Amino acid sequence: MSFRLLQRLRNQKSSLIFNSPKLFTHFYSSLSEPRYRNSPTPILKQSIFTSGHVFCCRNNGFSPLLCEIFNIPCWSISARLLSSQAVVEQSTSDGLTVEGIIANGWTIYNEDESDWKSHASAIAQSIHLIKKRLRWKKLIHRLEILSDQLNKPDLWNDPVHAGKISREHGSLMGKMKEVNAFEQELLEHIDMIKLAREENDSELESESQKGLLTMRKHIKEKELEALLAGEHDTSSCFIEVQAGAGGTESMDWASMVMQMYMKWAERRGFGVTVVDEMPGEMAGIKRATIRVHGEYAYGYAKSEVGAHRLVRISPFDSNKRRHTSFASVAVIPILGDGFSRVQINESDLRIERFRAGGPGGQHANTTESAVRITHIPTGVSASCQNERSQHQNKASAMAVLQSRLDQLEMQRQAEMNAEHTQSLTDINFGSQIRSYVLHPYRMVKDHRTDYEVSHPDSVLEGDLDGFILSFLSASLDKDEDADL
Amino acid sequence: MKWIFPRGCFSSILQPVLLHSNPGRPVSCSTVFSSHKPRIPLHLRPPTSRATVADLKKWHIWAKNLVSSVGSTFLDLDNGPDSTLLQRELTWLVQDAFENPNKVSFQNSNDDDSVVSLRACLDDLYEMWKQRIEERRPFQYVVGCEHWRDLVLSVEEGVLIPRPETEMIVDLVNDAVNENEELRNGLWADLGTGSGSLAIGIGRILGDLGKVIATDLSPVAVSVASYNVQRYDLQDKIAVKQGSWFEPLKNVEGELAGLVSNPPYIPSDHIAGLQAEVAKHEPRLALDGGANGMNDLLHLCSGAVFMLKPGGFVAFETNGETQSKFLVEHMDTETKGSFHNVKIISDFAGFQRYVTGYKAR
Ligand SMILES: C[S@@+](CC[C@H](N)C(=O)[O-])C[C@H]1O[C@@H](n2cnc3c(N)ncnc32)[C@H](O)[C@@H]1O
Repeated sequence: MSFRLLQRLRNQKSSLIFNSPKLFTHFYSSLSEPRYRNSPTPILKQSIFTSGHVFCCRNNGFSPLLCEIFNIPCWSISARLLSSQAVVEQSTSDGLTVEGIIANGWTIYNEDESDWKSHASAIAQSIHLIKKRLRWKKLIHRLEILSDQLNKPDLWNDPVHAGKISREHGSLMGKMKEVNAFEQELLEHIDMIKLAREENDSELESESQKGLLTMRKHIKEKELEALLAGEHDTSSCFIEVQAGAGGTESMDWASMVMQMYMKWAERRGFGVTVVDEMPGEMAGIKRATIRVHGEYAYGYAKSEVGAHRLVRISPFDSNKRRHTSFASVAVIPILGDGFSRVQINESDLRIERFRAGGPGGQHANTTESAVRITHIPTGVSASCQNERSQHQNKASAMAVLQSRLDQLEMQRQAEMNAEHTQSLTDINFGSQIRSYVLHPYRMVKDHRTDYEVSHPDSVLEGDLDGFILSFLSASLDKDEDADL
Repeated sequence: MKWIFPRGCFSSILQPVLLHSNPGRPVSCSTVFSSHKPRIPLHLRPPTSRATVADLKKWHIWAKNLVSSVGSTFLDLDNGPDSTLLQRELTWLVQDAFENPNKVSFQNSNDDDSVVSLRACLDDLYEMWKQRIEERRPFQYVVGCEHWRDLVLSVEEGVLIPRPETEMIVDLVNDAVNENEELRNGLWADLGTGSGSLAIGIGRILGDLGKVIATDLSPVAVSVASYNVQRYDLQDKIAVKQGSWFEPLKNVEGELAGLVSNPPYIPSDHIAGLQAEVAKHEPRLALDGGANGMNDLLHLCSGAVFMLKPGGFVAFETNGETQSKFLVEHMDTETKGSFHNVKIISDFAGFQRYVTGYKAR
């Protein structure tokens, strides 16, 4: 029965339905008549009800799913998709929007409290937060610019550029669609609950309640993901640690910091390799570069840029006095091939290899094959000695050099860019971000977020996620809703 | 010593080349493997040994202490490794010995009773590190391999451990074949191939039709080079032949598109004074270049004139400025007009290390 109904729905000429929302609604309400609801084909019911785009089409242009269902060629609306979805607010049949839900200020109870308003309110808050984290307005603006560029007929004359544009467009579009889908789903559930109440359909109501709860849990994860939505956040990265002034004591601290990141990376399942390491004379390191390999390595690690301060009784001080030492941390993304990277001219490079004295060649058998490469025009250099062949050390040093030059270029462009707002990577290499106090009391405190813990040992063992996440959310969430 | 002919002795690679260009002449093939069986490098041995984390930690601490005790003694004595370098080697030894080198954080593990799979038993690890420090056995012989360019080559006593300086010869060849596609698909020779390093490095940049003949007088070198060639699946591209310098190449006179060699070039009476790793452990046959170190270089240079075809490329590694200049001088006088575009090229350390040129057309 209902199957035939659906068929009839499909066979209706779309113009009829779409030109006449009333008719459509009417048509829909006939579906909700008792005989349909008692239909023994719940799957079909599901497919109509949960996709219930009927509610949204009034405000929302046509949803793509509708096109699918009713066989409307999608191209006819795709051009409008961007503006209509982003700008026109979606709402329920009685005009409730996501912002409206937030404005209602419904109390949010625990998840196990089955109160649909509480769920809806929590979900709406999450949507709001995600939009904020994604810098929603800027994202839409950027999408518009990208769409314009994609529509240019000569775009593919420069395939590298075109690839970059379309990749970015695809990624932003994906994010936007995901959020829109959340909004839509939320409003549909609400519509459904209201409808179920009108119709006294407790089964349908509890189903929609469950739907809301599932959504509420799922969207929490998405909040986290939205913290890492920066252009290069998915990249692998280099982490560089440099000892501050203060000789052996701070070199020892620098090596503790490096160990902390290596352990953190291992815990997170990233690959870690030491690329460059300059040991201190007595202990510790003067500086080191490690490569952290894996998805989102940069997104997380970028929070660590700045000076890290240690207070403790120095093991190197025979008088057992308290010392303060510093180590600075820099983080550099490793851009994928698709990104525009600084072109390095072979002739601009000075390549040196370190080796013990002597005439080399057959005279010497050494496993030392360190390489240092200097980019003469900028003076930027990189070295590597931890690979087992000179060839590999050179390749590794080149990769570090490339990333350093790329980062410089990104900073230069960001400064030129009028829209430039302070980005994470601008944070001064030297500004103090965190203190690790081992004496006279024990704690680690982040000065940017005031996040603190009282067990420095576990932090030094790589338990950094608390610091990282609190910093990421603080820096993305602090701005007023200007970007929404 | 017993010589046996390996499978594919008239190796299918060379046969077409040789027979095609020298119809009717018999191929005097001296591609032989001695009865010598190449040693499997540590990192390729099966992980059949077990040790507890506690025992490994004990070994590691012992090994680290041995490293610290060295300080700069070897460096001061004969330019040998200092403790920083030895420490790095120790890390690499651990990497090679572990079944899963990405999880070598046993030093941080608190679970002393857990058991780890190793490619050598704990006793062997003690023995290896003792040999490294006390006998100055080269690290590469200890683990049985040398990382060279992007290759990991098997090495053992009797074969010279390829040097980082030599890596650049492959780059020089690469530049040459980039300029001339004909060279890319021609026949090349690596004389005194040792572990096969140059032959393999070059084999990997040649075109589909390009071939390499690698020769060495040392049967151990021939066997190790063949093993490495197989490891990189290049047996169809590279033929390893045993014999003295040009002797195994008689059939291809005047046909080589390129010839490279890093022949022994150390003056005989310098050898005893070299760092212990070289003087006490590496084969003299691979190092000793006669009174002034030039014996083999001069011989090879003169021979190259006959082996190369017009336009063919040649590259030699030398001891440095004096030898390079001497060699160029030799080319200018003795083999007058045979080579053009002769150049001395410096290595990364700034030593005038390589002499390159083209056979006149
Ligand atoms: C300095 S080693 C170079 C090895 C290898 N090509 C490399 O660069 O690592 C010189 C090589 O020449 C080989 N050799 C010495 N005398 C030879 C001869 N008369 N004929 C062929 N090879 C010889 C030695 O066995 C040794 O493998």
